[in-house]
Amino acid sequence: MTIASSTQFLCFAALSAAVAIGALGVVLLPNIVYSAFLLGGVFLSVAGLYLLLNASFVAAAQVLVYVGAVNVLILFAIMLVNKKEAMAEIPGLALRRVLSGAVCAGLFVLLLRVAFITPWATPGPEPIGDEATIRIGEHLFSDYLLPFELASVLLLMAMIGAIVLARRDVLSADIVTGEPADQGLIEKSRTPLLLETPAPASPAMPTPVLEKR
Amino acid sequence: MPDCAAVGLPAPVFVLSGYDAFLGFLLIAAAVPVLALVTNKLLSPTSRSGERDLTYESGMEPIGGAWIQFNIRYYMFALVFVIFDVETVFLYPWAVAFHRLGLLAFIEALVFISILLVALAYAWRKGALEWS
Repeated sequence: MTIASSTQFLCFAALSAAVAIGALGVVLLPNIVYSAFLLGGVFLSVAGLYLLLNASFVAAAQVLVYVGAVNVLILFAIMLVNKKEAMAEIPGLALRRVLSGAVCAGLFVLLLRVAFITPWATPGPEPIGDEATIRIGEHLFSDYLLPFELASVLLLMAMIGAIVLARRDVLSADIVTGEPADQGLIEKSRTPLLLETPAPASPAMPTPVLEKR
Repeated sequence: MPDCAAVGLPAPVFVLSGYDAFLGFLLIAAAVPVLALVTNKLLSPTSRSGERDLTYESGMEPIGGAWIQFNIRYYMFALVFVIFDVETVFLYPWAVAFHRLGLLAFIEALVFISILLVALAYAWRKGALEWS
């Protein structure tokens, strides 16, 4: 039993509205924490759209990669930003807004053109539904085996690179300038995460009081 | 979509099975926070004293603002998580097609996981998983 056509249309309308409103919120809200969470909502709605298009694997990958990975990284990056350091006033803000608005309008016109000149009526391949993920698995483990194993090597490289970059005490000096590496990062990597609280309220559940720099 | 036939488009077919239950779960899950907040709003007594506006922090008085600069080492956990999150994307089709793939695919997946275990061991050795 699958979802009826009218339910499908309702889902499509709701997801499209969520994507459009959420994306506007991401751009327009002044608080970047709200923007980041709304971005997660937009990613989830796009995953729902993929699901409506019978692409269950793409939907799962969207949730795992975009909501799980990209959005988490964005949130952590926001957590590392100190809000009190007021951002410097950008020179020529109006001109920048006009320019970026023109670029976005151009992209929009391009997309509209693509949407109107594409012959959508040609019947695509027959949707195979639940079979699709199994087919992907079969291809991944037969004729795409080498890229599959290389992906794990790529992930290994990404992990090592991330650790080397984030833990600067591996490098004693900056590669480019030759100056001593950013001491602030190293010092912070040495300080304990948990402050010594004099009298914890409940020893069974210690409250992580984050250090204030 | 009723208007698809009018413009000569084939009606989109949703062929994935079992997603009507998913839709039901999704609606219930979306209703839970809304109902919880609305019930709170309707039932709870309203008081506007100073302590009420404090952020809840396990019963302790919160110190400072909520938006502080977090330690960079939290980012390490996020990075390690992201690597294994992407690994899951690759293992998902393997798990779904497991009954059709043979022993060879099992060994290949083991190779894949063992290469990533090297990454985990590296992160462990370098202290990326240490709290202090």
